[in-house]
Amino acid sequence: MATVREKGYSHWDGKLGERRFPWWPITRTGIQLAFRKKRFKFVFAGAFVPAFVFLVGLYVSERLEDFKSFVRESDRLLNIGPKYFSAYFTNDSLLFLIVLVLAFGAAGLIADDIKHSSLQLYFSRPLSKTDYLLGKMSVIFFFVLILTALPGLVLVIFKLIFAGSFKFFLDYPWLPLSILGYSALLTVFFAFYVLLLSALSKNARYVIVLIFGIYIFSNVLYGILNSIFRTPYMALFSVSANLQQAGAFIFGQKLPQAVPAGWSFLVLAGICVLAAVVLNRKIRSVEVIK
Amino acid sequence: MSIEVRDLSFRYGKIVALDGVTMRLGEGAVGLLGPNGAGKSTLLRILLGFLVPERGGGKVLDYDIRREQAMIRRSVGYMPESDCFVAGMDAVTFTSYFGELSGMPRQEAMKRAHEVLFYVGLGEARYRLLDTYSAGMKQRLKLAQALVHDPKILFLDEPTSNLDPNGRSEILELIRDVSTNKSIQVILSSHILDDIESICASVVILKQGRLAAEGRMEDLRAIHYSLYELRIKGDGGPFRRDLEAMGCRVDETEDRLIKVYMPEAGDRMDIFRAAARTGVQLRYFVKSRTSLEDLFAGVVGVD
Repeated sequence: MATVREKGYSHWDGKLGERRFPWWPITRTGIQLAFRKKRFKFVFAGAFVPAFVFLVGLYVSERLEDFKSFVRESDRLLNIGPKYFSAYFTNDSLLFLIVLVLAFGAAGLIADDIKHSSLQLYFSRPLSKTDYLLGKMSVIFFFVLILTALPGLVLVIFKLIFAGSFKFFLDYPWLPLSILGYSALLTVFFAFYVLLLSALSKNARYVIVLIFGIYIFSNVLYGILNSIFRTPYMALFSVSANLQQAGAFIFGQKLPQAVPAGWSFLVLAGICVLAAVVLNRKIRSVEVIK
Repeated sequence: MSIEVRDLSFRYGKIVALDGVTMRLGEGAVGLLGPNGAGKSTLLRILLGFLVPERGGGKVLDYDIRREQAMIRRSVGYMPESDCFVAGMDAVTFTSYFGELSGMPRQEAMKRAHEVLFYVGLGEARYRLLDTYSAGMKQRLKLAQALVHDPKILFLDEPTSNLDPNGRSEILELIRDVSTNKSIQVILSSHILDDIESICASVVILKQGRLAAEGRMEDLRAIHYSLYELRIKGDGGPFRRDLEAMGCRVDETEDRLIKVYMPEAGDRMDIFRAAARTGVQLRYFVKSRTSLEDLFAGVVGVD
């Protein structure tokens, strides 16, 4: 080990400034730390597979004559419109991949800070609890938006490029807003969902299990309750079913369950409120010097 | 005065943690002492702006502890007692990260991180993952993150806990250097009295949420009592009771050395008179320089 005061201490002659976004270093560092994990890089890259498949679908839809032998009776599926985009955003595989990405990239966002007692370091800086949580949430915003809003808007642009006209945009001028709106809903929901679970344990591995467990268990619970009570309202117990209901509503499609979409929005909002309350309590409880 | 508080009171539910503490701390290193539950941590929490006092108020570096907590946190450095780091980071990233969070520009924070890591002796290990650091290295790292933004006051909570003798003396040397040569005020909370004695010129002793003693160590030693060490032959019981009746505090060490803390107004000849009255022989008598331990025992009333 190097000897003490090898280079001496000198005062810093700069001036400490007030940041416009004090949470930004937390976000940037959170994203960087996630990409240092090899497993995460692999999962993250894999999460773009649905976007790629739908992009191929777009291309094929514009070249139906060329791909007639491959497409056969599936050409109805390749009728590009809001339904096509709704299918991209609400399909089970995309939602599961988002959960997968967040489990491997964001489970430790708060859990690791609690485990290694670093919350006291954050709060000994000029940071508020809101700054801290916003910094952590923005990491999730980044991952979810890059898997939802970005591919969604890219798909629209490629549709216009492949079609060679703006007709599609003129037919559905609200579609980009729907894409942004549903992406925002997914982003906010998953940010609260993951941070809530991350704040409940010191061990990031347990948090990964919780993130998957609750997501899958809610589906299983829905299946069991539905088989017992035979009512579509049991879908409100399922995280993915609620997200799909909300997605179908935002894209103006027929709802997958015979339940008013407002109920699903209420359930999702309820989970976010619960998460906010728990986060407020958990983060405050360790905002002390031991 | 860099720290000034008046009538500071705080309670956790029904438990009174601080009760009307008033003090002024100037330049240099100040030791914060007190038994468990004395209110040291609560006082630090309030000074750092983590807690708002129930009554009273004060200023840290002219910033109000009730209203300007963010400014206080920007101007002070804090080294917590427990191990704390961010998993998956190396020391440079970690230190510059907290520099940035204090308000430093990113590049400046990175440059400064290298400097302070060399200063605390982690220069060669600065690119190693923190998860692989030893206890001593983590302690140095905590000091580095507290220094990175060049604070005016450094709050150190048990900075030498879990360290071997070498590591401890090196950390103490750093703290001494920071407080004496770099014009950074150090507030050192520690249970290791030797650490405080070797670094701090003044001390604040808390007892049950109240200020038990405050001031320069030399003054406190002189003001409160004189310490005499003696050995006797004969029955020590009556002798001890006689001394205690005169207002002295009497302690006996394992090797039968008797320490007599005599009030300021007392006369050392009273000890000889008590010995004559109770029929014991004084075999050894010396006026001792009071250590911080003695001072602590005298003020707080515990060994």
